[in-house]
Amino acid sequence: MDGKIIVVTSGKGGVGKTTVTASVGAALAKQGKRVAVLDMDIGLRNLDVVMGLENRIVFNVVDVIQGRCKLRQAALKDRRIDNLYLIPASQSDEKSVIKPQNMTWLCNKLRREYDFALLDCPAGIEQGFKNAIEAADEAIVVCTPEVSSVRDADRVIGLLYARSITPRLIVNRIVPQLVEKGDMLSHADVVDVLSIDLLGLVEMDDAVVVSSNTGNPLVQQKESRAGMAFNRIAMRLDGHPDLPVEDPMAGRSFWQKVGKKLGRKNRTAKR
Amino acid sequence: MTFHSLIKKLLNKPDSSRNVAKKRLQFALVYDKLEVRDDMLEDLQQDLVEVITRYFEIDRDALSLDIQRMEGSSALILNTPILAAKHRKEGGARAHA
Ligand SMILES: Nc1ncnc2c1ncn2[C@@H]1O[C@H](COP(=O)(O)OP(=O)(O)OP(=O)(O)O)[C@@H](O)[C@H]1O
Ligand SMILES: [Mg+2]
Repeated sequence: MDGKIIVVTSGKGGVGKTTVTASVGAALAKQGKRVAVLDMDIGLRNLDVVMGLENRIVFNVVDVIQGRCKLRQAALKDRRIDNLYLIPASQSDEKSVIKPQNMTWLCNKLRREYDFALLDCPAGIEQGFKNAIEAADEAIVVCTPEVSSVRDADRVIGLLYARSITPRLIVNRIVPQLVEKGDMLSHADVVDVLSIDLLGLVEMDDAVVVSSNTGNPLVQQKESRAGMAFNRIAMRLDGHPDLPVEDPMAGRSFWQKVGKKLGRKNRTAKR
Repeated sequence: MTFHSLIKKLLNKPDSSRNVAKKRLQFALVYDKLEVRDDMLEDLQQDLVEVITRYFEIDRDALSLDIQRMEGSSALILNTPILAAKHRKEGGARAHA
C-alpha cells in the first residue's frame, strides 16, 4: 500500500482536532478505506476516550517507536467500524521521547499498512507539533470562528508552508444564528483572512458532546449535522475532491425564513 | 449583485461584532508578520557590518540597528558614525573584500 499521512493541527487548543481526527477517520473507514488514527498528544491522551476504546489499550505509539511491540500490536481495532484502527498515545512519557527521525520511520511503516493515517496533533507549536508534521504528506488545519483561533491557525499555516505542506482548512463550531446576527465571523471571513483552501464546515452540534460522552461514532448518527459534515469531508479527501462545501447558513436564508413565517414548508438543505 | 446578496449586505452592519472581529484579525496578522526574532537582528547586524566596512571605516561599537514599530508598518533603522571612507581601487572594493 502507499497510504497518505494527514496531520490534524490547529495551534490553539480545544478547537476540535481530536473530534476531527476521530470523525474523519471513522468516515474514511466507512467508505471502505483502511484507516489508522494516531494520538500524538504524548502524555495527555484523549483520542482513545473520544472513540470509546480506552479500556482496551495494551501498547501505545511510544512502544512502537522504541521497538517494544509491532505496529500491528499497538493498533486497536474498532469493533463498530471495520478497517478503523487506533494507535493510542502513551500517558506516562514526555513529548521529547519521540524524535523527528522516529516519525519518518513510523510514517513509512504506516504508509505500507494503511490507506490513510490521521495524526492528532497536540496544541501548540513545540516539539509535539514538530514531530507530528515531520513526515506528513498533507495537513488539515482546524479553527473556530474566533479571533484567537484564526490567528493561531495563520501561524500554523505559515509553519506548514515552510515545510512545503499545503494545508486545507476546517472551520469548526460554527453557529449559523450568531453569524446571521452579525456576532460571529462567517466561514467566508475566515477563508478571506487566511486565504487557504477550504476542506469543510462543521456546525456547533450537541451530538458531538453526546458522542464524546458515550464513545459512539458521530458519523453514524444520521441526524447529526456535524456528523454528516464529517462524512462529506471524508469524501473530499477520498475520491470526491470537488464535492461542494455547503454553507451552514443554507436553509436558513432570509427568503426561506420569510417562507416559514408564511407557513410554507421549508425544504431541508441536503448536507 | 443579486437582490439576495444586496439584502445580505444591508443586513451586515459595519459595526457588528463580526466585522470588528474581522478587522482586528486582519490587523493582528499583519502585525504578527512584522515581528522579528532577536537573533535574526544580531545576524543581520553582523552581515551589515561586513558589507559597510568594505566601503567605510566605522566605529563598530557605536553602530545601532533597530526596528521601529509604527501602527501598521515597521522601519529598519541603522545608525553608524563614519570614521573614514576607504579608497577604492579601480575594479571596486569587492575584489579585496
Ligand atoms: N462541532 C462541535 N460542536 C460541539 N462541540 C464540539 C464541536 N467540536 C468540538 N466540540 C467540543 O469541544 C471540545 C474540544 O474538542 P477537541 O477535544 O476535539 O479539541 P482539541 O483541539 O483536540 O483539544 P486539545 O487541544 O485539548 O487537544 C470537546 O469537548 C468537544 O466535544
Ligand atoms: Mg485533542
